Amino acid sequence: MRRTVPIRILFAFCLVSATTSVAHAQSTTPGGMPSPPGMSLAESAAMRFPQPVRVGDLLGRDVLRPVESQDVLGRVRRLVRDRNGQIMVVVDFGGFLGFGSRPIAVPVDAMVLLGQDMEIVAFTPEQLRQFPTFSPSGATDLADDTIIKVGLAKPSH
Amino acid sequence: MKSPFRPDVVPNAGILDDHKPLIRSLERRGLIRGGLSLGALVMLSGCDLDRPESVESALLAIGRFNDGVQALLFDPNKLAPTYPASMILRPPKFNAYYDVVDVKPVSDATWRLELSGLIAERRPWTLPQLQALPQTSMVIKHICVEGWSYIGGWTGVPLRAFLERIGADLRAKYVAFKTTDDYPSSIDMATALHPQTLLALKYGDDSLADPFGYPVRLRMATKLGYKNPKWITAIEVTNTYPGGYWEAKGFPWFAGI
Repeated sequence: MRRTVPIRILFAFCLVSATTSVAHAQSTTPGGMPSPPGMSLAESAAMRFPQPVRVGDLLGRDVLRPVESQDVLGRVRRLVRDRNGQIMVVVDFGGFLGFGSRPIAVPVDAMVLLGQDMEIVAFTPEQLRQFPTFSPSGATDLADDTIIKVGLAKPSH
Repeated sequence: MKSPFRPDVVPNAGILDDHKPLIRSLERRGLIRGGLSLGALVMLSGCDLDRPESVESALLAIGRFNDGVQALLFDPNKLAPTYPASMILRPPKFNAYYDVVDVKPVSDATWRLELSGLIAERRPWTLPQLQALPQTSMVIKHICVEGWSYIGGWTGVPLRAFLERIGADLRAKYVAFKTTDDYPSSIDMATALHPQTLLALKYGDDSLADPFGYPVRLRMATKLGYKNPKWITAIEVTNTYPGGYWEAKGFPWFAGI
């Protein structure tokens, strides 16, 4: 085994990069969750430490599914206040490579901030597919400089 | 042709199965999967593969070796990249070993920063006292071991200035932290004295928000995200290895960038 000593060191260096990227154990629970039974969207969003964010900073963000694979569900197109006064995030939902998506309006309380992205935590993709296509009538756009509050989640990966 | 790297005695391949969880944690990236083989383990462990604990200790020895190399390479005067304030992500990205709904906000009425170990002035500090010290700002990248990053703007007391102020023994090996969320952490003294190591009190121009460590957290430009404890309640200067939450689970301790 004497001659293997330099080889050992070589392998150790190969593995140096390996151990610096121990990448997994940081997340043990999935980020995001549907509202607990009997709790409104607003009540569950309030548990997620809503943070101030500028509307203009949300436009164009990827919208992810809160699962380990972090599937991209769509992209934020605009934020509106609907005829009931509720803030809705209009998401270009579905499609493939940017084609075939359609806008749906998701209540902001069903979504969270995840760094540079957003997630829809309160609805499954199957439920979202049943959402009607967004119709702008009766909705007013929020100005880019409007500050709204959106809850947080930990990464799901 | 027989490989010159092939050992004379080939160990039992079942040894890899016995250590699947540990190996999987080490080899999330495909690159690594290719690097960690039974052969490599033989080289590293001195062939004693019949005892499973020797494999685990070999893998952890690689981590310690890596820590040592990183400490040798660390240049106390070299600065990590900084960014313009316009690139600050507001709000920052939340992460912890639990979800955000389990964050326990800290009351500043009762909060104190306790000091212990090789420190001359060990009286506890209040938040206004920390706020009264000279503050430094830095816009740096937060790089998580999970693979994501964001640019954040932090303001607070340079840890070096604080350690000097409290009369800490700057020749000690370790600076250790305790937090309200049971997330002990520790760093080497060289990094503690680095100019881009802050006891952060603010993000952007505002006090830290509760999920991001109010009232005080650590922010370093030279280490991975998990080395930056939030909601700090105690600092100890010591020569005894203090470890940390993820380090106890096999993560590298030095974790430099």
